[in-house]
Amino acid sequence: MASLRTLTAAFLGAFGAATVATGYTTYTATRGAIVRLVDERIQAVSGVLLSEARPGDAATILAGIDAFARRRDSGDIGFELRDARGRRLGGNVMVARALPVGTFDLHGGDGIAGLTAGRALVRDAGAGLRLVTIAETEPIDGLGAARLRIYLFGFGAIVLIVAVGTGAFGLLVRRRIAEVRATAEAIIDGDMARRVPVDPRGGVFAAQAVAFNRMLDRIAALLESVRNVSSDIAHDLRTPLARLHARLTRLAARAESEEIADELDAALAQCDELMAMFAAILRIAEVEGERRRAAFAAVDLSAIVAEVAEAMAPVAAEGERRLIVEAAGDVPLRGDRQLLSQAAFNLVENALNHTPPGTTVRIGAARTGGRAMLSVRDDGPGIALTDHAAALRRFGRLDASRHQPGYGLGLPLIDAVARLHRGTLTLADGAPGLIATLDLPAS
Amino acid sequence: MDLLLVEDDADYADTLRSELTALDHRVVVAPTGPAALVEIERDRFDAVILDRMLPHLDGASVVRRLRDNGHRLPVLMLSALGQSDQKIDGLESGADDYVVKPTPAAELDARIKALVRARGWIDDGAETLRAGDITISPGQFRAWRDGRPLDLAKLEFKLLTELARHAGSFLTRAMLIERVWGYDFEPATNIVDAQVRMLRRKLTADGADDPIVTKRGIGYMLRV
Repeated sequence: MASLRTLTAAFLGAFGAATVATGYTTYTATRGAIVRLVDERIQAVSGVLLSEARPGDAATILAGIDAFARRRDSGDIGFELRDARGRRLGGNVMVARALPVGTFDLHGGDGIAGLTAGRALVRDAGAGLRLVTIAETEPIDGLGAARLRIYLFGFGAIVLIVAVGTGAFGLLVRRRIAEVRATAEAIIDGDMARRVPVDPRGGVFAAQAVAFNRMLDRIAALLESVRNVSSDIAHDLRTPLARLHARLTRLAARAESEEIADELDAALAQCDELMAMFAAILRIAEVEGERRRAAFAAVDLSAIVAEVAEAMAPVAAEGERRLIVEAAGDVPLRGDRQLLSQAAFNLVENALNHTPPGTTVRIGAARTGGRAMLSVRDDGPGIALTDHAAALRRFGRLDASRHQPGYGLGLPLIDAVARLHRGTLTLADGAPGLIATLDLPAS
Repeated sequence: MDLLLVEDDADYADTLRSELTALDHRVVVAPTGPAALVEIERDRFDAVILDRMLPHLDGASVVRRLRDNGHRLPVLMLSALGQSDQKIDGLESGADDYVVKPTPAAELDARIKALVRARGWIDDGAETLRAGDITISPGQFRAWRDGRPLDLAKLEFKLLTELARHAGSFLTRAMLIERVWGYDFEPATNIVDAQVRMLRRKLTADGADDPIVTKRGIGYMLRV
């Protein structure tokens, strides 16, 4: 948006500068033309006057001036004759200063009645005589002001039209961009069904919206098929696993020695773990399918935290870790109690499984502003900052944790639950240890 | 027990029948809802295992039809995983329990036995439960072993109560998670085993016999 604004400002600036330059050029060109015409005229008039007298004949020249002044079309021309010492001999105007031979600009300061701008031509009339011929370069009073007004109105109107047009165009573009952005944000928030509104009258923006929407349809279809593939695989593999489980159970019941029974126990545990993995994949697919959002109800995050801590307390105690609940009153939100409980379980399990005995794990729920926060923090070794993203990835297990229980689906499931609730899961360095926070909208 | 398995997937029905037969059940398979209704009128069953998704007449409708006809026999409903909303729907239609397919036959076996036994009592509230020398008063939130009061935490009490309600039957971990903890998922950590160990310690504190039986791959049972 900033670049659009900059672009508009730059365009208007350049346009304004061009308009001013055009105005200035026109003004000076007009003025130059007037000066040239006036110079030609006084040259011609003074030439005629001098040609009628012999050089140095002041009386004939003065008579010529008188005769010229009586003519009807001569009001814009004035003469003055001075002698070699600069004394005024006569004429129909008075010039305040003595001028040498040449052409000059005249202004109000030259003391010529009724003249604000003009040109003067001083010629040698023989025997030291100087004939000053002057003419106004502004034959109409206030022409300069009128010209300025014309420029201001004319070019001002153009600038105004362009500025308003640019503004309207910018507003239109901005509104289309805002629509696209709102759609993108809704999709990031998990509303995959959201699309950009299409103007029924057509046009480039409508065409762009249609293309954008088709891209979103395609992405939604791909997401759906990826989700289905993983669910289908998980689902299909559960049947043979269930059979394997049944067979191992029957064998365990008939085990003849304690040693074999223990082996079968371990095999059953592995079988359970595989089933749990597939259950987790299917659960993530279920959460990402978003159908559970329809069943959101009022829940208290503090109560969920307390229940999970109670359920995990014996496990923590057996693992020689301390599990402490930090409650801060009711933390109400609209959500899915089961999924939020499962997310809390996964967070506590992670904290207990990836820390050494003696670690203290704190689970708490709190309301800050309009947010409901569930946090689990431990004072264990933590996760390197560069590994946080890997930890959130599905099946993304860190090297250090490969020998530990779990299968890398815990955090992705929590992440999916957070997104279903239009919240986020963040990992932060607890210095020492790790802080995992579910940041959800409170009600 | 005599079981009616209603399942349109012939392969899965076959697998389940042979596994349940291995667990000493007699299993009749009906591939559709109407066929199931005919079988129920013709034969006597202890329980019905019913697929939620059936052609023509779906599982929920079959249960409603059964209940309308006055049949009280326990119904265990099966459904595909990842559709929790169907669970509520299934239970509302009158099914007694609900599990996701595929479930190990042992899990089904435990659930059916619990359902059949549960037909013996209905009231959840005030009655006193007895299992061996353990007495529980759910209404008062108190329990005794051989006359001595037991000092139990809330979850331990709920666990003991659930085991006592089904004393003599095995309860699987999934069943206990659902009924004691109230969760529709199984946490990766074995919270059931840990809680049972805590409960056992308290029940056997004064050197008494362990009243809880563990069966590998299945679950726990309180002795009668």
